Amino acid sequence: MRTSLVVLLALLGAALAASGALVALGLKAPLALRELGLYYVLNTIRDCASPEAVAAIVWDYRGLDTIYETAVLYFALVGGLAIFRAAKAQGFKKPVGLTELSKTSTRLISLLIAAVSVCIALHGHLTPGGGFPGGSALAVVAMLAVPIYSVNSMLERGITSTKLIAVRGAALTALGLVALLPVIRGLEIVTNQRFYPGAVLGFTISGSISMYNFFEFMAVASGFAALALYLSIPEEAFREVVERG
Amino acid sequence: MVEDYVFALIVVVLLINTALSIYGIVRRRSLVKKLISLTILSDTVFVSIILVGFIFKYPAVPPVYSTGSPEEAAFLSQHAVDPLPQALVLTGIVIGFAVNALIAFAIIQLYRLVGTTDARKAVKVLAEEVAE
Repeated sequence: MRTSLVVLLALLGAALAASGALVALGLKAPLALRELGLYYVLNTIRDCASPEAVAAIVWDYRGLDTIYETAVLYFALVGGLAIFRAAKAQGFKKPVGLTELSKTSTRLISLLIAAVSVCIALHGHLTPGGGFPGGSALAVVAMLAVPIYSVNSMLERGITSTKLIAVRGAALTALGLVALLPVIRGLEIVTNQRFYPGAVLGFTISGSISMYNFFEFMAVASGFAALALYLSIPEEAFREVVERG
Repeated sequence: MVEDYVFALIVVVLLINTALSIYGIVRRRSLVKKLISLTILSDTVFVSIILVGFIFKYPAVPPVYSTGSPEEAAFLSQHAVDPLPQALVLTGIVIGFAVNALIAFAIIQLYRLVGTTDARKAVKVLAEEVAE
């Protein structure tokens, strides 16, 4: 205990001294935007109709990167499913879960989390947030429900990892369609402003950015929820499947 | 001057974090601890990338317009942080999550089949099973 405290204090002293040395050697903190960053900040509204420069980069300037990235996450989850192969082994025990108090409070909190996550996703083109943070927030509901209600209770209600992966696949397909539709008019793939409207009925939707955010929200939430279910398969159930061959 | 020192301190702390996480990946026997070290390493890299786009000026604001006026554009060009590293880190987080999830799946699978997450013990158990 005392040794680790001494090591920690020594480490802290070394860090403080090294920082002073770096400053003495001429290390300067950045005080201004670099040219490329300045371009994005100044032109995000004109190029992408998005007041949020990060969302504009993620889904417009570098939209193709993000679509590939979404596909990578999808295939990682499919890979996980391939490794596990025990989805059918679930549901053999009566669901128990935790106390009624924890279940009721989880129900209330889940509603709040769902409302906040939808806001994060749908305002993603206007304020910091977007499909990925919103979807991750919604997946917390599934991660809470698994220990509080038990995996088997979720399976009894028809929430299976296979269905969630199907939802994720559908959302990913919709995302691909939004990216591909401009090609019909002879435009480039992932075109935003020349194909999709910047505003509808006076509401800024930033063209395809809000659509991408919504479908990404669905894809991430269902993907993470499926992950929570995969990781909760009871060991005995898994062993049964493996032993059966 | 103070901002230079804070910047240098963050750089040093990130370097220490990198060293500790690499130590965890290389030296720890438990695969779970290796995975935890890997996530610390990737988070350290993400913070480093964010640091590249940060500006040490008060106020440093997110690159988000509320009115879209030329005055606001002029203000943001002076005070907004760089949006590009943030967008890249967002992509990096998703890819990192995909990789970590796959590794976690593999570790849990190994534990279910072999009964340990210790890399050396797992190799021994598997070698014994092959010998049988």
